[in-house]
Amino acid sequence: MSSVRERNASAWLLPNDGTRTNHQLRRDMRRFDDNDEVDAVIVGCGAGGSVLLQRLARAGWRVVGLDAGPFWDPDTDWVSDEAGSHHLYWTDPRVISGADPVPLGSNNSGRGVGGSMVHFAGYVPRFHPSDFRTLSQDGVGADWPIAYRDLKPYYTAIEQELPVAGEHWPWGDPHGYPHRPHPVGGNGEIFLRGAEKLGITAKVGPVAIPNGRFGNRPHCVYRGFCLQGCKVNAKASPLITHVPDALAHGAEIRADSMVAHIDVDEHTGLATGVHYIRNGLQRFQRARVVIVAGYSIETPRLLLNSASRRFPDGLCNDFDQVGRYVMVQGAPQTAGRFDSEIRMYKAPPPEVSTEEFYETDPAKPYHRGFAIQTVSPLPITWAEHVAAQGHWGADLRRMMSDYVHWSCLGALCELLPQPENRVTLAQETDRHGLPVANMAYSRCANDRALMSAARGVMEDLLRAAGADEVMTIERYAHLVGGARMAADERHGVVDADSRSFAVPNLYIADGSVLPTQGSANPALTIMALAARAADRLSA
Amino acid sequence: MGRYGRFPGFDAAAQWRHWDPATAGSVLARLGPPQPIRFFTPEEHATADALCERLLALEPDRPVPVVAMIDARLAEQETDGWRYADMPEDGQAWRLSLAALKADAVDCFQRPFAALTADRRDRLIGRVRELDSTPWHDLPAGHVWSLWTRYACTAFYSHPFAWNEIGFPGPAYPRGYKNLGVDAREPYEVEDEGKS
Repeated sequence: MSSVRERNASAWLLPNDGTRTNHQLRRDMRRFDDNDEVDAVIVGCGAGGSVLLQRLARAGWRVVGLDAGPFWDPDTDWVSDEAGSHHLYWTDPRVISGADPVPLGSNNSGRGVGGSMVHFAGYVPRFHPSDFRTLSQDGVGADWPIAYRDLKPYYTAIEQELPVAGEHWPWGDPHGYPHRPHPVGGNGEIFLRGAEKLGITAKVGPVAIPNGRFGNRPHCVYRGFCLQGCKVNAKASPLITHVPDALAHGAEIRADSMVAHIDVDEHTGLATGVHYIRNGLQRFQRARVVIVAGYSIETPRLLLNSASRRFPDGLCNDFDQVGRYVMVQGAPQTAGRFDSEIRMYKAPPPEVSTEEFYETDPAKPYHRGFAIQTVSPLPITWAEHVAAQGHWGADLRRMMSDYVHWSCLGALCELLPQPENRVTLAQETDRHGLPVANMAYSRCANDRALMSAARGVMEDLLRAAGADEVMTIERYAHLVGGARMAADERHGVVDADSRSFAVPNLYIADGSVLPTQGSANPALTIMALAARAADRLSA
Repeated sequence: MGRYGRFPGFDAAAQWRHWDPATAGSVLARLGPPQPIRFFTPEEHATADALCERLLALEPDRPVPVVAMIDARLAEQETDGWRYADMPEDGQAWRLSLAALKADAVDCFQRPFAALTADRRDRLIGRVRELDSTPWHDLPAGHVWSLWTRYACTAFYSHPFAWNEIGFPGPAYPRGYKNLGVDAREPYEVEDEGKS
């Protein structure tokens, strides 16, 4: 444990007096002037941006992180309540289109320091080695310009920093976790029971919640509100896992700062800094290196909104790659009813998963696969599931009154990257006058086949566990791609080190650089890629 | 215990002393008077009330002020963070869809929607649900259905009255849960007395 503390003391910099925020550290935070040419300005303080901020600050860089949202204090800003957590999501206007439009906001988009990890469920599986070469191996998707082995040491490092609890993981590159698995609630019990009956291997974890004390972070209280922001400081988000250490090493976080435009010098071809809006004022932060970490919608939007004479179609968009190959995972959700009380709202929603169906099975008519995990919707989200079955009126109320008897599983299907699934600029503008994003999404035949196969397995699992009734809704989860890494500028926006092909001192370090998505929740991979990018930058 | 009497004596809000102050402030405010109507016109208000009453089978005395809660979100532009490309922004979509309901009522029954019997309202509402991807007054019916049910369910199931009906204890910080697992209950959780 001491080695983690030596390289990232975040958990020890949090208070141990029953409060959740080190206000002294924030008050004493170093503050740069707009006219200082900092070593790096980072746009977005989520999974990618915060890891880079911490790593670069440790390397002695003078670095500022800008975030469009607030610098949260879990004690005062977050509530143990579903409807009251609306402000955690990115709710500025956005348009969704295509044959299968994907809802954004609470589903996959965060706002404020910590990013969407503030409200992510907490699952942190690694990608499998096969994920990095699906084109050459499976004939679909894309090959990454890096291999699993390039990320492996960073996976291990981040797993220690979050830290992750779970059983020994038998899939992909088999590995263990630093903390033992958590006890499971009713929903996890049902999953394990069904899996055992069917002979499917299922494991507890991997979850970014320490099992035991870690620094000054208290033990999880199993209250089930992981998706509403962890008031306990138990579930990991960069707000508590990387930001405190970054501040202690001289980084600045400038919250409530919406970046509008990246400036590139026409003569040198280098980025010079970012234009941003804070308290209604237009400002400009000079920087030697610009790092964009706004995630799969806002990163492409910012690049497209940064068009100039040199880049008439958007920054880094000479080859029409910006905004393309956006991906979401197909996430059908199957619920089963039991005579027993499951009370799935108790215990963290991330409990048990299986990756038995992750890889291509030559016996199946589709390529690649899916993972299955417990999901435990709270009443509002559960009402959406029930209403999506067509229930309304007295029928809906009666179905809802049965809430404590339902168990719920979710799949993550590896939908394939497609060029027409993309972020473009809409006609509509936000309150700053900046064009908003339009995200188009349509599934291909392989995508539909995967979602239907996953549904079948989940329904079998719940029936095997004793469910007398099952119901499945189609939905989507997570976001990656939109500015992918590739071997060359005709196939992507950044290289293997996350450096843009077009502007030598412009980097992208968030989920948008992923060329494929596997069937794994993306947070850990985004953090590992950022940690790797930081090593390359500061080498 | 709610309409179905499944959880006798269960009262989620009675536990408020065990909630943290930020959460208690946010949740208990829902038990007080709702904000005055700011977004809907009186006519839209009447149509929305007649619609939500049927969507959620609301009690005549409206223990959950669903329409006022929807109105507050629209007035504050508290959207879900996206809109379908073939729909206007949420506020305008509500106005247009309520006007369309009213037009259907006048066409079919020569009376405003709010003045129709429950059966007749259900017929008009049910038709929108069944149209699915077919246009309805130039709006995609399925996306109108999604808009109505999202806003209505979010309002209703955020209220302790609704939690009592489904056996959900609501806020759980800082206390958390001690008894995890199938058929395990905390002392303040109440056993389901049977399927309705």
